[in-house]
Amino acid sequence: MRIAIDSGGTFTDCVYVEGGLLKLLKVLSSAADPGNSVLESLRRIRPHHPPEVRHGTTIGTNALLERTGARVAFVTTAGFEDTIAIGRQARHNLYNWMASPRPCLVPPECRFGVSERVSESGAILAAPREEELVALCEQVRSSGAESVAVSLLFSFQNPENERRLATALKQLGIPISVSHQILPEFREYERASTVVANAYLAVKAGAYLSRLEAHIEREFRGSLYVMQSSGGIISAKLAAEEPVRTVLSGPAGGAVGAHRVAQLAGFKNIIAFDMGGTSTDVSLIDSLGPRPTSEARVAEIPVSVPILDIHTVGAGGGSLAWFDRGGILTVGPMSAGAEPGPICYGRGEQPTVTDANLLLGRLDCDLPLGGCVQLEENRTRTLMEKARRAIPSVEEFSRGIIRVAESEMERAIRLISVERGRDAREFVLVCFGGAGPLHACSLARALAIPWVLVPAMAGAVSALGILMSEVVRDYSRTVMITVSSDRRSFDHQVIMAKRWRELKALLEPHFTALEVIGEAEFLKQGLTGIAMRSADLRYAGQGYELNVPADDRMLEGFHREHHRRYGHADRDRPVEVVNLRVRLISPGETIELPKAERADADPSPALTKKKPVMFGERWLETSVFDRHRLKPGNRFQGPAVVHEYSATTIVPPESSVEVDDFSNLVIRV
Amino acid sequence: MQPFDPIELAVFKSATRSIADEMGAALRRTAFSPNVKERRDYSCAIFNGLGQLIAMGDHMPVHLGSMPMSVRAAIDSLALSKGDIALLNDPFEGGTHLPDLTMVLPVFVDRQDQPVFYAAARAHHADVGGRYPGSMGLCRDIYQEGLRIPPVKFVRQGVMDRDLMRAILANVRTPEEREGDLAAQMGACRVGEARLLELISRHGLDKAERLSAALLDYCERLMRAELASMPAGSFAAEDFLDDDGFGSAPLRISATIHLDPPRGTAVVDFAGSSPQVRSSVNAVFAVTYSATFYVFRCLLPEDAPANAGLMRSIAVNAPRGCMVNASHPAAVAAGNVETSQRIVDVLLHALAEAIPGRVPAASSGTMSNLTIGGIDPRSDRPFAYYETIAGGMGARPTADGLSGVHTHMTNSLNTPIEALEYAYPFRVVRYGMRAGSGGQGRFRGGDGLIRELELLADAQVTLLSDRANFQPYGLAGGKPGASGGAVHIEKQTSSRLPAKCNVHAKKGDRIRIETPGGGGWGKPAP
Repeated sequence: MRIAIDSGGTFTDCVYVEGGLLKLLKVLSSAADPGNSVLESLRRIRPHHPPEVRHGTTIGTNALLERTGARVAFVTTAGFEDTIAIGRQARHNLYNWMASPRPCLVPPECRFGVSERVSESGAILAAPREEELVALCEQVRSSGAESVAVSLLFSFQNPENERRLATALKQLGIPISVSHQILPEFREYERASTVVANAYLAVKAGAYLSRLEAHIEREFRGSLYVMQSSGGIISAKLAAEEPVRTVLSGPAGGAVGAHRVAQLAGFKNIIAFDMGGTSTDVSLIDSLGPRPTSEARVAEIPVSVPILDIHTVGAGGGSLAWFDRGGILTVGPMSAGAEPGPICYGRGEQPTVTDANLLLGRLDCDLPLGGCVQLEENRTRTLMEKARRAIPSVEEFSRGIIRVAESEMERAIRLISVERGRDAREFVLVCFGGAGPLHACSLARALAIPWVLVPAMAGAVSALGILMSEVVRDYSRTVMITVSSDRRSFDHQVIMAKRWRELKALLEPHFTALEVIGEAEFLKQGLTGIAMRSADLRYAGQGYELNVPADDRMLEGFHREHHRRYGHADRDRPVEVVNLRVRLISPGETIELPKAERADADPSPALTKKKPVMFGERWLETSVFDRHRLKPGNRFQGPAVVHEYSATTIVPPESSVEVDDFSNLVIRV
Repeated sequence: MQPFDPIELAVFKSATRSIADEMGAALRRTAFSPNVKERRDYSCAIFNGLGQLIAMGDHMPVHLGSMPMSVRAAIDSLALSKGDIALLNDPFEGGTHLPDLTMVLPVFVDRQDQPVFYAAARAHHADVGGRYPGSMGLCRDIYQEGLRIPPVKFVRQGVMDRDLMRAILANVRTPEEREGDLAAQMGACRVGEARLLELISRHGLDKAERLSAALLDYCERLMRAELASMPAGSFAAEDFLDDDGFGSAPLRISATIHLDPPRGTAVVDFAGSSPQVRSSVNAVFAVTYSATFYVFRCLLPEDAPANAGLMRSIAVNAPRGCMVNASHPAAVAAGNVETSQRIVDVLLHALAEAIPGRVPAASSGTMSNLTIGGIDPRSDRPFAYYETIAGGMGARPTADGLSGVHTHMTNSLNTPIEALEYAYPFRVVRYGMRAGSGGQGRFRGGDGLIRELELLADAQVTLLSDRANFQPYGLAGGKPGASGGAVHIEKQTSSRLPAKCNVHAKKGDRIRIETPGGGGWGKPAP
């Protein structure tokens, strides 16, 4: 029995299939130990078969955000100890002299150099001496490090020196993260940063996952798996060794969940829009499925293991509205958070987006939000009156707050779609999170997105995604082979473009080696995997690569992708094969989403009342529906409001809604 | 000043900024050269019908104040009609230095015979001809520096001038790349045009124009409020560039900032600065104006839009023919990268007297431009490597300066060591903090960097840097940062290199660059 459990700040969401029905359970998250809520949920579910528990965890993200990870020692080639702190030598804040980035994860006294060197072709120019290794162990020990990260220059070309270091450091008895194992790819800073992040999380996340796994085994005879930031599942054991792969566990679940739900509803291209209390995540997935990036930053730290391309903006329902020094209305990035929260929750005193929604009639005081808060309308009106300054009325002030907040969201969606060469008109906006469905239709109109989809379980899309994910493990390595049709640049690494067979022969052993490692790892877990090969290519001289499938049409695929993304391609220009990637997938059993019985088009059984809601500049008499009583086949026109347990959907005039077989709201904007 | 709607204006501010960002994304996506794609040396901006800057993306600070001058020059010297795109790089007619090529597109709507908005895109091109590959070497006059393009119509009524393109490509060392980057700039301008037309159709022309005006007024208010809170008086400072690279005496940059808080204005006067020299360190007025714009812009909150309104209350005067307002035929390539940094140092020093709690001590003050060229023995092909090396940031009144980071007028990324060794015949032997180079103080200046590399082939090494003699100053009793230096290490001997030089190095030689630290702030603890 498969159970997905996603830890969130407030709630822990569980989704599972029982007796052919998809079930949802929400449990309050334990602030002390998120594992308690996982176990608590399992006790309530009482699985009658040993459960396969799939976990979306925030333990890694939080440790990075709050900087509460281990004291890490960083070991690298002598002369390069500071590269972990120098980074790319650029500053984050262009126009702020006083800004300081958060300090490097490795303090200066924990950076160590070893006299060794590997060349770009993999030749060992210098190997570490035994006495030096002994001294290094002593230095690391006395630095008080709780975890150690090793990343030497060109370790991916020849891991020999790194292996010797790792062997020597083993005697320290603390977790060791080694670059040629975690990320055998070039670019020393991004690689080292990823390995350091892994070491930083290894102690905390490792202990958490091992403890939870042992508990689940003992109490439920079940097994534990963890959602990775790449959108695939891995065993808790591997996740404990490589926690850096789980830093965006929950958000990845959300993107995958949104995509799966939309696919079943008949859509191919989606923009996922997850708006919560303090921030909003947006991501784009097209018909080729979720695609990870290797250029992500999490809490300012570059993390180059595969992570779904999710863009976060610091604006959500709890974002504060204020007037800046020049008198312009501004929303965010400060948030009222959970404490004191928006004015309408009873304690906050500054206007938020949620308060604005309440005063426009879009939320309902009678229907407690999330089942636990009674909204205070009078208090909100009084405090908003005080805050509106020269704006003529609280209604206009509220509309203003929403317009400003939505213009920020619009920018975020443009960034991941239009600015990356995609046409938003070919997409459906899948909205979830507490505040997403309130703003989705208005945003879709501004961006000319024709459809909005509000999933049946809008409050647990992330858990749903985790439930429906496959077991996935990613392997990669840098090879750096130039493919050129130019005879003059012919050398041992250069291949004539037309001689595909020759290139294939060069790549084959690398691919096979990656697959051998992967299959052995899968076998240990009793799994068999399907291998997908791909490669990162670029034109010689470029600084960034594009990932394309590594089949017989690889080079042509690259030229085409380059043309699609960047508007031009040059088939005569030398191409570099930079990284090879193997993704092993074990599909497991497919989870079918249950369909509800179809009813006729008339939604009136779900109509709870009519009330005035403000659209544009007018109050319109608006139908209010109860989401749980709507049936597949129901249709209705805006203006309408649909309330459910954890979210509210706003349907503006002239939009039409149909409830599909899976109980999703499909809105033609 | 018109009353304004705080909501409409907020949405308009976000929308215009989004247009500039989207133009930038389009340029970066479609450009061909690493300089644009990776180092991000470009800027995009939109202007109203009067040629006033409305919004600009966060790209290169050194382009801040100089983009408007390019647009002004295009408007003044060409009768732009619908479908035209102007191109220019002439430093004496709207440009900055020759590698910066700027395109300006006028936006028309029906029934209007004058442009209602402009979109402009600038990119630093990796080569525009001239004496040295990369067009950044030390020259005596503008003619040696490369191809000079006054404002011309590059596109006429939608059709690109192929002859002009051929003439440009015939004068540069990497024509394919240039062609790709120019196409990318045209594309970026058209993205700007499309989005501006969308904006106009959303609001109506009348309202869009009113909102543009209101946005400029809003920024003017922000800056005036800031200036009104500063002390009255005249605050002066001076500092020096080491030399012109041909053995001259130190070159002086002087500035006096006159603050008039009741009126909310400032006048910045560069009288007393050295006359222009026969070397590339001259800055045209656009660069000086940008540096001033940058300094005052940093006094405002980070999310304040950078537009023409900010500079309405600030006048910038520089005598013609001095090295911060150079005239034809001065060479100007290094004005952008070196002199611009010193101008910022001088302005900050003057401001520190007026608002001591808000100004950092001097940062490294040089971009330490390193160019290495030769033949790669692995492929028998020529190679050219160019990089800027960061230094220490000056200490702040509340915190230490950052170490090993680009400051003020630049923010380009480094090239990864592993990428570099794949691409060029050298091996990096050291890349680290230069411990102790930050000035002592209550708050310490950031440390500079040390970068040392071994050549695996004979090569021509060009260094363009400064602050070898005049150290980055400390403030409020803080000590100066260490000056920069470079060493050429040969088999038997090693010799110090001048800050600006061009040397021939042999296979096996090492070059070590040590960049300056930042100045300290406040008296060091005894």
